[in-house]
Amino acid sequence: MDDTVVAALSTAEPAAIPRAKTTAGRRPVLPIIELSLLVIFAVLPLFLADYLTVFFTRVLILSVLAISFDLVWGYAGILSFGQALFYGTAAYSVALMARDLGITEIFIVLPAALLIGLVLSYLIACFLLLGRRQPSVIFVALGTLTGAYAADRLARGWYYLGGQNGIPSIPPMTLGSYTFDEGPVYYYFAFATLIVVYVGCRFLVRSQFGLALAGIREQEARISFFGYRVQLIKTIIFSLAGSIAGLAGGLYAFHEGFVWPNMLGVIVSTQVVLYTLFGGVGTLIGAVIGVIGIEVLSYILADNYQEIWPIILGALLLTVILLRPSGLVSLVVPERERIGNFEPRRRRRAVGH
Amino acid sequence: MTDKRKDAAWTSTSRRRFLQSAAWTAGAVATGVGSWIIRPDWANAAAEPIKVGIATDLTGAIGYAGNANANVAKMLIKDLNAGGGLLGRPLELYIEDTASNESVAVPNVRKLIQRDKVDVVLGGITSSMRNAIKDTIVKRGKTLYIYPQLYEGQECETDIFCTGPTPAQQCDTFIPWLMKNGGKRFALPSANYVWPHLLNAYARRVIEASGGEVVFEEYYPLDQVEYSATVNKIITEKVDVVFNTVIPPGVGPFFKQLYEAGFGKRGGRLSCVYYDENTLNINAPYEMEGLASCLDYFRAVDKDDPVSARIQAEYEKEFPGKVLFAAGSAATGMYRGIMLWAAAVNEAKSVDRAAVAAALDHAKIAEGPGGPAEMVPGKRHCKMKMYTAVAKNGNYEIVEQSQGLVDPKEC
Amino acid sequence: MESAVAAVFEILSFGAIIVLVVLGLGIIASMMGIFNFAHGEFVLLGAYTVYLFQTWGLPVSFGMLAAPIVVGALGLVLERTIIRRFYAAPIVAMLGTYALGVIIRESVRGLIGGLYRAVPEPLIGSIDVAGVHLSRWRIAIIAITILVMIGSHLLLKRTSFGLRVRAALENPPLARASGISTNAIYALTFAFGAALAGLAGALVVPVFSLFADLGVRFLIQGFLAVMLGGVGTFEGPVAGAGVVGVVSAALPWAVAPVLADVLVFVLAIIFIKFRPGGLLAGRRI
Repeated sequence: MDDTVVAALSTAEPAAIPRAKTTAGRRPVLPIIELSLLVIFAVLPLFLADYLTVFFTRVLILSVLAISFDLVWGYAGILSFGQALFYGTAAYSVALMARDLGITEIFIVLPAALLIGLVLSYLIACFLLLGRRQPSVIFVALGTLTGAYAADRLARGWYYLGGQNGIPSIPPMTLGSYTFDEGPVYYYFAFATLIVVYVGCRFLVRSQFGLALAGIREQEARISFFGYRVQLIKTIIFSLAGSIAGLAGGLYAFHEGFVWPNMLGVIVSTQVVLYTLFGGVGTLIGAVIGVIGIEVLSYILADNYQEIWPIILGALLLTVILLRPSGLVSLVVPERERIGNFEPRRRRRAVGH
Repeated sequence: MTDKRKDAAWTSTSRRRFLQSAAWTAGAVATGVGSWIIRPDWANAAAEPIKVGIATDLTGAIGYAGNANANVAKMLIKDLNAGGGLLGRPLELYIEDTASNESVAVPNVRKLIQRDKVDVVLGGITSSMRNAIKDTIVKRGKTLYIYPQLYEGQECETDIFCTGPTPAQQCDTFIPWLMKNGGKRFALPSANYVWPHLLNAYARRVIEASGGEVVFEEYYPLDQVEYSATVNKIITEKVDVVFNTVIPPGVGPFFKQLYEAGFGKRGGRLSCVYYDENTLNINAPYEMEGLASCLDYFRAVDKDDPVSARIQAEYEKEFPGKVLFAAGSAATGMYRGIMLWAAAVNEAKSVDRAAVAAALDHAKIAEGPGGPAEMVPGKRHCKMKMYTAVAKNGNYEIVEQSQGLVDPKEC
Repeated sequence: MESAVAAVFEILSFGAIIVLVVLGLGIIASMMGIFNFAHGEFVLLGAYTVYLFQTWGLPVSFGMLAAPIVVGALGLVLERTIIRRFYAAPIVAMLGTYALGVIIRESVRGLIGGLYRAVPEPLIGSIDVAGVHLSRWRIAIIAITILVMIGSHLLLKRTSFGLRVRAALENPPLARASGISTNAIYALTFAFGAALAGLAGALVVPVFSLFADLGVRFLIQGFLAVMLGGVGTFEGPVAGAGVVGVVSAALPWAVAPVLADVLVFVLAIIFIKFRPGGLLAGRRI
């Protein structure tokens, strides 16, 4: 009889199980994407002319900036339109250091950029995020947007900062007597920076801290009742993102050789948001893919359709936002692999757990 | 000047259609790869072409000027090629759009230098654009750079040559004229960037040396459109001459508000050294009646100068439309820049940077818009004739001109 | 004395312009809970319509009458096709409308060639009051704004349409259960907000001249005004706009223009931080 029962049970289950594949069984897609991008970027300069290498260096630096935004929004749920504020301020600061104090030594300017981003974002976080009442998402968005806009106006009006013109002719970054000129050298340096930042963030978000972040994003009240110090966590992540944005700013300033008020303002801020949205929020690699996608598209479109490419870009973004709000990455990466997505599995296929 | 604005069939031609209608683009090859590249029909494989790069604002706020000087470049390169090119080699023109946006401009200029490998770059209009792209061209690109627009001076870097008017050329005789035909009390409302700051410093010296006084000097953000406080100050402090350096988009509303407050009616004189025929379109004619400007060329010069008339006619034939050949739009500076460079190449018998720079240092042309021009040796700036003109009913009338070529007094 | 009159007049006229722009934005934000990042571009479209009328040789005033209708109609179409999908996710709405705004702005830029176009005002000249020249057109703007505000208020408070709008705002499910088509109400409200923006653009284009980035500067000021005044009411955004407009216009008389610019925003944000509901919090239409 046991055999019949077992036989009956075993015939009952197969109807359900063959379709089911638990995550344990499925190969994770994200690492594949990450590794392939790593390899592609590592060998890219070998195939490209110098001016294209320079273009991709810019892409790498912007990726660092985009990651900073993904960190706060994709993982912590803070919609910060102000990443450009930290990016631009750090860029201006290192430009001023180079222009007025003659400091271009890499081990001073890059940590300085990091620090400036950190301090500024900490101050902004204290004002916007903390307080007895939980600030609404709109308020944070608007507050950071206003901060970026105000900084833009200030830089535009202040002659010491170059006003409308910004600060041109920034001398290149140096390491002792060696100068970092644009080209493959700077490319690999930016690439290394991106890897370090990326790996660091990845470890952070897959840790316990990352889980707490996800909790804040989904249900802040509940998490705080569990005893997590929500304010502290938010401040930490915001400051961290701010420092990363500052680092990107420092790299950019020395690469392009000039800084100007637009770097601080609304346009770059929104651009960063769009990069991340386009690529996919909540997966660090999505931010990178978004930057690559938009920048390469812009380059190609600007070449061939000089007049209408901004319209095409806008239309493309609108399409992505309407049809695929999870971004490009969600086309290949299943919903479950996006870190921080802890929704219950909708269709329970496995029977009798 | 035929007032094209009053044409009955005045429809807003899009830039694309306008450029396509230029008849001679049959000879132009616009490749799909970004920049406009124009090659002469007779280019053959044996003679390696000389590449001329133009980096200018074809789109954006400064587009009205950028298109003017791109057109001039096209016209001149075509003429030079029709004459057999330079040193027997054909000339190829590469045009990149700097889009009035410095962060777009730098990568595009990089393309000119690294991908197209041009032998010379002409362009940049605003000083901020020049500052943004000059390093890419001169330091990193090791290419000659010719800057064609009127500016604040003090650009003394080697390998950068300026063919537009300098503050000395625009102020030394203009300001005394303003004092005779306006009054002694000057106001300096300005846009907040480098050109107005430095120009005002020079202008102030001339004003005070001539016995005038500067009532106030203020700087506004570029996109400010509300000037009520400024206009009020001008009226209440009884300013005689407004020496304006506010630029678009603020300048249109500013002049309008000034007119509405009755500044002109009370005998005030409005002056603006970058105002040319292109910018006269920004406001209604009655709002700019009596505006004085000092430039190296005005359309009205054609009456007395056949060379200028010929150049103007040729431009209008090839580029009919709303983008006018005017001195405040870097068009005349571009003309001088290209012709002086061509003369230098012919003298140096090569396009090597050092050789051409050495020849360009003392280059001269006998024929140019507004008159001949010559580079001041060792200074990399250009002597040219200057004209003072006043706007009457939507057109400029010349009221004074320099006797000979005016020294730029730079570097 | 002259200065004071001139100052007050300019402050009023500038404040009126801001109020007109923000009215539409505030209604949309209060009604549907989404912040329309393309609102500045609706203003631009209103201005562009007037410019088009001028290039076709028609009187400018016709263009100004047509602008709200044209932009309102466009708003209606956009709402039915695109905006509707954003109601569930206000955050995505901000970015989606931003992308929409980019499309509109760059299209206009391509059409006018990236330059500045002057548009003459229908009422040229100025009148003399107490020795100060007051632009006739600006007086007209103030007058029209007051009329529009009164009209909108009456529409919402005194008509049955207004009643339905308020019902849909108050309690959408109950309104639907009572037979009110909330979809239609939302569509019409969005169209109305867009029409107001179009009108604002049409009225200000003679003052500011037409250029592609005309709308961008109104966007930030608009949002601050709405948040400052308080989302959820009719009077709130108006009050906020009034404050922002007046302060923006008044500060340059007191401090350097650069600082004035920045101060308005910083002060507004600080105020909102400490009073998140805004000036007139809580009261509904």
